[in-house]
Amino acid sequence: MARVRRVGKRWWVGAVGLLGLCVAAEVQPAYSQQSVAVRAALVKGSLPADDPTAAAWATASVSEFPMSPQVHWPVRITDVTAKSVKVRGLHDGTNVAIMLEYTDPSEDPDDAAALEFMVGDTKAHFAHGQPMAQVEGGPVNIWYWKNKDGKGADLGAKGFGTLKPHSHQDVKAKGVYQGGVWKVVFSRPLTTEHLAEDTQFKPGVFGSIAFAVWDGKKMETGQPKEKGSEKAISSWWYFRADAPPDYSPYMYALLAVALALGFELVLVRRLKKGS
Amino acid sequence: MGGVLIRPVILTICIYLFLKFIVPILPHSAPLPSSLIFLYLMLVMSGSVLFATLSGESKDAFFQPILRFLTGEGGGALGSARYLVLALFPLLVGWQTYGSTASSDAPPGENRTIHPAPPGEYTGLSNPVPKTPENIMYGKGLYASRCAPCHGNFDGKGFAAPGFTPPPANFKDPTTIAMLQESYLFWRIKKGGVGLPVEGMPWKTAMPRWELEMSDEDIWKVIMGEYDGAGQKPRTWDESE
Repeated sequence: MARVRRVGKRWWVGAVGLLGLCVAAEVQPAYSQQSVAVRAALVKGSLPADDPTAAAWATASVSEFPMSPQVHWPVRITDVTAKSVKVRGLHDGTNVAIMLEYTDPSEDPDDAAALEFMVGDTKAHFAHGQPMAQVEGGPVNIWYWKNKDGKGADLGAKGFGTLKPHSHQDVKAKGVYQGGVWKVVFSRPLTTEHLAEDTQFKPGVFGSIAFAVWDGKKMETGQPKEKGSEKAISSWWYFRADAPPDYSPYMYALLAVALALGFELVLVRRLKKGS
Repeated sequence: MGGVLIRPVILTICIYLFLKFIVPILPHSAPLPSSLIFLYLMLVMSGSVLFATLSGESKDAFFQPILRFLTGEGGGALGSARYLVLALFPLLVGWQTYGSTASSDAPPGENRTIHPAPPGEYTGLSNPVPKTPENIMYGKGLYASRCAPCHGNFDGKGFAAPGFTPPPANFKDPTTIAMLQESYLFWRIKKGGVGLPVEGMPWKTAMPRWELEMSDEDIWKVIMGEYDGAGQKPRTWDESE
């Protein structure tokens, strides 16, 4: 009988334990999964826009995206050198810098890389903003870098065969090749005056981003291994320049804790009076 | 204290364990989203409270232990538990408030319709190509050169697949071509990703517009090769009616 009473008194211990198990089952482990977004953190001081090896890049979070051979439209390619790209981003509230990092066994003058963005709110197809049958698509803004050019190019396209440089060149780029790895940094002001041609970055808001890489290694034919539409590509992923820190949620949480505590005190007091 | 209260607690936990761990392993089932599990548990708890308050006696039996617990009658281990509950409740409220007001680091959600409705002219078309072994083999050959880079061995795992989002369709999956008519595949292959309506997110898909590179007859043969290679049968009008 005593044993029964002891068990009866401890029922809540078991219940709390079971409840704890249930909560533990609900809490998802924070494993990193395949990246879906690049987040450019807000930094104080100068942006390492012209130095892919700057220490500041080590503080930026890394996102990695798989790359595919371009098989969407002719001329296609079946094997590409870059199987994935690591991407980092930083911004200082005025300018944004995005770094691509990928392996390439050889440094070649025709090695190249590019970023692609949608322009404005209109959706655009990732393949150079090609026309879509049932949706009016928008243009794309492409930031391009080629090793032998040693600088960035600001391009626009709305469909195949329409790729051309903008009359205004707002994009800078610099690449460094070390130990079989390319690190290429693209930079530009967060916003420009050319709303119809340039992508605009609003801190805190996600936009779309895609990547392309060309291995410019010379083949026996004298042509680069990858050129034009023969390249490694991704389709759209997400990019966001982080907004400045917002501490208001902490304030709201503190207020809620105080209100809940006050509610508890009043409730217990009234219950005690009632009993 | 135990009797009246412990039953709904145990019932709620059992229902939770059933929804979380048993339902996903039932045939033709899938894991339930947390929001749905929460909804079911709220229904169970509401029902328990309703049941416990059907009469004045059962109501007292249900609430008296709670009142005694909250007012600290009894002391001992229950007293410690009382302080724990009184401390945890405001923290839980604060946590929920923070979670609902802090900006999310997650990208915007995507509500992509995987099989959007085709344009009217493609509805109900029948494959005009005779289903002969030669035509099927010819279609498989075209598949190998045109489709396999992304769709692989009919499993969506071609060498070109990893960089694309959404991923290429897995034709062996019973929720892809097995639940579609041949006319639907004809539309998707002919017009490609850019032929999709807005709910299909045509700006993301890498599916080529094959009408620029293949004849209609070849597309029909590819469809036959796809079904045969994937071990699936097309949905027909007879089955859908």
